[in-house]
Amino acid sequence: MHLRQDRLTASERMDALFTYQKPDRVPLGAMSTGFNTRNAGHTVADAYEDPEKSYSDMQWTTEQYGWDPIPQYAGHTVLGAWDFGGDVRMPKGEFEGALVVTEKPVNSEDDVAKLELPDPATVGRIPLAMRFSKLQFENNLPVYFFSRSPFTMAANICGIDLFLRWTMKKPKLCEALLDISLKHIINALTLWLETFGTDRVFVWMSSPSESNQLISPRTFKKFALPYHEAYHQRLRELGVQRFGQHICGEQNLNLPLFAESPPWPHPSVLSFGHEVDLEAAADFFPKDIIFGNIEPAVIQTGTPEQVYELCRVAIEKGKKAPGGFILGPGCGMPVNAPSANVYAMTKAVHDFGFYE
Amino acid sequence: MKEVTKAELLKEIHDSVVEFDEEKTTELCEKALEIGIPPYDAIMDGLALGMDAVGSLYEQKEYFVPELLLCSDAMYAGLDILRPHVKVDEHQTAGKIVMGVVEGDIHDIGKSLVKTMFEAAGWDICDLGKDVKLGKFVEALKDTGADVVAISALMTTSMMAMPKVIGMLKAEKPDVIVLVGGAPLTEDIAQQYGADGYAKDAISAVQVAKNLLKKAA
Amino acid sequence: MQKMTSNERIEAVLKGKPVDRVPHFPFILGFCAKNVGFPISTIYSDAEKSFDAQKKTFEQYGIDWGPMYGYASYGTWEFGGEVEMPTGEYQQAPAHKMFPVKSEADIEKLTMPDVRTAGCLPIAMEFSKLQEKNGTPISVIMGGNFTIAGNICAAEKVCRWMLKKPDVAHRILRLATDHIVDIVSHWVDVFGPEKVIPQFWEPLTSNLIISPRQFKQFIMPYLVESSEKILAMGVRHILYHICGDQNANLDDWAKVPMGEPGLCSFGEEIDIDKAIEVLGEKAVIIGNIDPAILLTAKPEQVYDRCREVIAKGKKSPRGFMFSSGCEVSPETPGYHVYMLKKALNDFGSYNG
Repeated sequence: MHLRQDRLTASERMDALFTYQKPDRVPLGAMSTGFNTRNAGHTVADAYEDPEKSYSDMQWTTEQYGWDPIPQYAGHTVLGAWDFGGDVRMPKGEFEGALVVTEKPVNSEDDVAKLELPDPATVGRIPLAMRFSKLQFENNLPVYFFSRSPFTMAANICGIDLFLRWTMKKPKLCEALLDISLKHIINALTLWLETFGTDRVFVWMSSPSESNQLISPRTFKKFALPYHEAYHQRLRELGVQRFGQHICGEQNLNLPLFAESPPWPHPSVLSFGHEVDLEAAADFFPKDIIFGNIEPAVIQTGTPEQVYELCRVAIEKGKKAPGGFILGPGCGMPVNAPSANVYAMTKAVHDFGFYE
Repeated sequence: MKEVTKAELLKEIHDSVVEFDEEKTTELCEKALEIGIPPYDAIMDGLALGMDAVGSLYEQKEYFVPELLLCSDAMYAGLDILRPHVKVDEHQTAGKIVMGVVEGDIHDIGKSLVKTMFEAAGWDICDLGKDVKLGKFVEALKDTGADVVAISALMTTSMMAMPKVIGMLKAEKPDVIVLVGGAPLTEDIAQQYGADGYAKDAISAVQVAKNLLKKAA
Repeated sequence: MQKMTSNERIEAVLKGKPVDRVPHFPFILGFCAKNVGFPISTIYSDAEKSFDAQKKTFEQYGIDWGPMYGYASYGTWEFGGEVEMPTGEYQQAPAHKMFPVKSEADIEKLTMPDVRTAGCLPIAMEFSKLQEKNGTPISVIMGGNFTIAGNICAAEKVCRWMLKKPDVAHRILRLATDHIVDIVSHWVDVFGPEKVIPQFWEPLTSNLIISPRQFKQFIMPYLVESSEKILAMGVRHILYHICGDQNANLDDWAKVPMGEPGLCSFGEEIDIDKAIEVLGEKAVIIGNIDPAILLTAKPEQVYDRCREVIAKGKKSPRGFMFSSGCEVSPETPGYHVYMLKKALNDFGSYNG
């Protein structure tokens, strides 16, 4: 079977979406790191600790599967546990696909007051992320700055179970962690903007700890939402032009709260997990580009036919999104996904994704 | 001291768990011992019933994980007071279970909540923690003679260990019941992996295990 | 020239007609299973899954020829021995577990296998029915005469017997040759002679194992005999995979009838220019990227090597199909296999 030919470049396709014009076809995003390095014969750890390998493996894999570079990052730029004095290690062994926190910076109430703002130029994996971003810059790709949300970062600093307990019992401690998280994210982002320019930086965020499998919409409204608002206020002041957020997992109860007054500029890219129906997402956010939402567990364990069918349905729904649509996985591309399943997404875009 | 009936005190213990009041739960459990309420009754009809109610509130989406964690803290605080006083022959275990987060995965909130619910339901628990090497599950099964092994995973990478460990467990004890759970898991995937059951959350896990045990009996 | 479908491309090459670009020929089995998430053993033990995994992988990687079934240790099982399916981390194909012939005395006990029921042949037949249903070439794969002989009694035994007890070696080669003819005859009965393209993989005739003199005197007569009988059934093309270093055998291979045209695939040890020089007038040349390079080199190195091979192969007068020189390892990074497709797209066109 022949694949249909694209009429736009990836960059033109994204420009079209960000100006509310219909591109030639639905773009295909991947949110992929370890899958790329494995595809090129390297290790998952290489995706995190070797920016050059990660970058080139990402480009080759992007070419092989016909992905659009939305988003492209080699792991997070800023990390709560690592940046504030804790420790992480690289994934190892057959069953690890992400960085592992080995020591948290905050283990008790007293530790919170001792926290200091880190130097954004040197701490954690920020220097590695900077090398990766330089490669994007040099090769005329969007330069991605990737952080967790302030809420997720704050929870990462002291561990999610302690943070959740504090939301009920010691809200002031949570606020202290949220404040310092926001400041650190903005400091690091400022460094990116100064290095690469506001017109080249694409700011991306994910918020897995805000999932309703963990917190209620009440907790979201009280602790997470104000910091999204503060964060975007700063982004506006800094002149950031493009933004995307991976609204991770089951967040259906949070969406109406976001939708009351979305804090981000329009259009932004909003990526959803399989837990959120794409049509519902488009209804809540008609001015934004909806991204998603093929279930990663199906990409990993299902058949190519199952993945293809999920994509067909997603494309059918997504094409109706008034703000635009990008097909992609519902969370990070599984490192061990069979190649044919990943290719099924490409095939589905080329079979159903063109706009006539 | 105000006179209080057994029923009233048990209800207060129940409520203190639901209201996640650790201090109050501790005080009430101490009081229960003072006034001669059998500790086993205080556990089953006070603490455990309280956690049942917490489970319902979670299912109704009134309570979420923070509440569950704090309720579980209250329950454990009460258990710490009462358990040492329970006579061995009084304690009828509902079943024996080994549980852990599979090798390669360090996300254990879900497993901790599952543990709480099984504890409340009167099971004997061997908690292996997180990032549990596959061989350790088998060792623990051998050592405890457990009826059920419950394994959780949050990541698509770590869930790939499940078919392996399930195969190892079944080779060790063919009639062991294996229960799996975690965000990327589904009923279908659990079946594909050779598990006997799947639980979508901590609350349903106990019932799924009970049903599987009954079926096997 | 308008872009052709894969089937059109294959048909054109077999008929000696112009093609739009060099076709991509597969030598890739266990990789396909991994590509789709199946255990490698399914490629050999489950015809439907094997066909499905290959078909999907071929579409993804732009491979033109259809899915195929077969493996190098063919003959052991069929003659009464045992093979084991690949299960371990480092196994990629069925392996001998027990040879049917352990001593000279065992040879007398051998009977000709029933080609409908012996060993893997029922799976192979089920597979060929899928080939027919899907309109892809019906290629039954076996070892060549000498390779099957080596699979019956172990390679070192047949080598020793060739020197010490040539009569014994001849008896085994006779059995192997008759069996080959039986299989092809059965396939021809089921599918018709024009549709069947038998494939023979001959790794054991490599000059790392036997001398060109032994090839010429011992093996050639059997190769020629079975080929002639097969072509006499009406079969049009025979594919020989001339595996490993067989440079010194090439002139004799040129004397083996292979059809019009024959199909000859080569390992990386034989330069494509040399293959064209010796066999280019009678066969479509197929090959020949080193699978070790595919497994371990950098993508740019793979790409460059592909470019070289394609440039040489395009000069072949009876046609050329691009392929790996031997089976692509299941551990090969996906991106490296994609390089084959990329290189063909960039350099394989015949238009200008």
